[in-house]
Amino acid sequence: MPQNSAPCFEFENVSFAWPGGKTILDGQSFSLPKGVFAVVRGPSGSGKSTLLRLMNRLEDPVDGVIRYLGRSLGDWSPPLLRQKVAYLHQMPVVPDLSVRETLCHAFTFNINQALDPPGDSALTAQLQRVGLGDVGLGDPAAALSGGQRQRLCLLRAVATGPDVLLLDEPTASLDKESKAVVEEMAGELCAGGTTVVMVTHDDFIPGNTACIEVRVRDGRVEICQ
Amino acid sequence: MSMMQEALDIGAMELGIAGLFVVVAGAISMAGRLGLGRSLLTGAVRCVLQLTAMGYVLRFIFNVDSVWIVLGVFCIMTVFAVRIVRGNVAERQIPFVLPAFLTMFTVYALISAMVTGVIVGALPWWHPQYFIPLAGMVVGNSMTALGLSLDRLFSDLKAKQDQVEMALCLGATAWEASRDIVRDALKAGMTPSINSLAGVGLVFLPGMMTGQILSGADPLLAIRYQIVVMFMLVASTALTVAIVLHIVRKRCFGPGQQLLLKPGKTRR
Repeated sequence: MPQNSAPCFEFENVSFAWPGGKTILDGQSFSLPKGVFAVVRGPSGSGKSTLLRLMNRLEDPVDGVIRYLGRSLGDWSPPLLRQKVAYLHQMPVVPDLSVRETLCHAFTFNINQALDPPGDSALTAQLQRVGLGDVGLGDPAAALSGGQRQRLCLLRAVATGPDVLLLDEPTASLDKESKAVVEEMAGELCAGGTTVVMVTHDDFIPGNTACIEVRVRDGRVEICQ
Repeated sequence: MSMMQEALDIGAMELGIAGLFVVVAGAISMAGRLGLGRSLLTGAVRCVLQLTAMGYVLRFIFNVDSVWIVLGVFCIMTVFAVRIVRGNVAERQIPFVLPAFLTMFTVYALISAMVTGVIVGALPWWHPQYFIPLAGMVVGNSMTALGLSLDRLFSDLKAKQDQVEMALCLGATAWEASRDIVRDALKAGMTPSINSLAGVGLVFLPGMMTGQILSGADPLLAIRYQIVVMFMLVASTALTVAIVLHIVRKRCFGPGQQLLLKPGKTRR
């Protein structure tokens, strides 16, 4: 299959289980098209987060093949795959760095050395975009509130321009304002061509984008258009 | 006139008198109802038996004068050292015994051989009278450092799983995502031997030097030996810990450069 016509992600007979634990995916096959906003829903512990972790190889399947743009994940260099497929954790992870260093953190790694990190004016504009205009670039990132940190982490995750954004319940512990900002930005990124896969427990439906629902339950994955 | 004299003999009766020191410790245990009497007795008996046995083994090795027997004894010492390291490291998800054994054996053998053959100038390089005690000190001291380092590596990787995975998700390689943790683990292993460099002679007198002085050696010669031993301990500790950490860190990550080590004893 030519790469340009390949789906964004393909799962072929994928199984996954934690060692000694229950089966999370049981021989599932499905695909996600490019450019969609996929909302992943399912009961707690059904494997929604695991599905995302499989997509950028934080876990490997026990059986089956996962492909990104037609190539098995095993054929991608892991840093390159993760440069293209960004992942935002449920809880914001902020090391002991300034806001500026946090936003440019990805540029310190070899895979991103060829990319130019944004200057201060671009960083300030990014902060304003997510309602953090009053936060200084030199401020310690760890001193921000949980909602502010998550917005910062979202900016950090997309700083290198990924093609896919995996969001693992990014708004689960956020205040109303932060939740609205994160969801709006995810929608904007999708409208701009980024494929977004977002795990959520609530009734969120993105506006102005092609949305599909991915239901995970009892080891099975169901795609609803 | 020289003040130095040959070591005075300690006979069975004198050893028996020394045994009274153990009785003192036992009396304290009984008075305080510490319940340590049995352990103390077992420990004292093992101490006497093991050291006596080692004395005969050393005498046999010195008489036989065979490189294979010397290396065989060294191998057994290393096996026991690795067992102790394994016992001191709680983590069981990542196998580390084989790389630890191979590294310890190779590094300690090279350094001990270099010290015996080049610095001390013993002929042959494996001369048991020099090689066995020097290698024993290297093994004994460096295994503690290795245990500390591995324990630190595993506990930090588990405690900082979210930070390691955050870095991986930003495109870091496994090495980039874990290098600070590896540095801290290396530092944890090397610091005690560096501290002992500063404290030796002021805070404590090492056993080997004391032993040589007691057996009638010139204190200045004993000190020169001790300096060599301290330096070789620093080098062997640094080399062993660095190599083993490098190998074991790689084993903590899977083929997709994902962290295999998870919090808790089993994977999430």
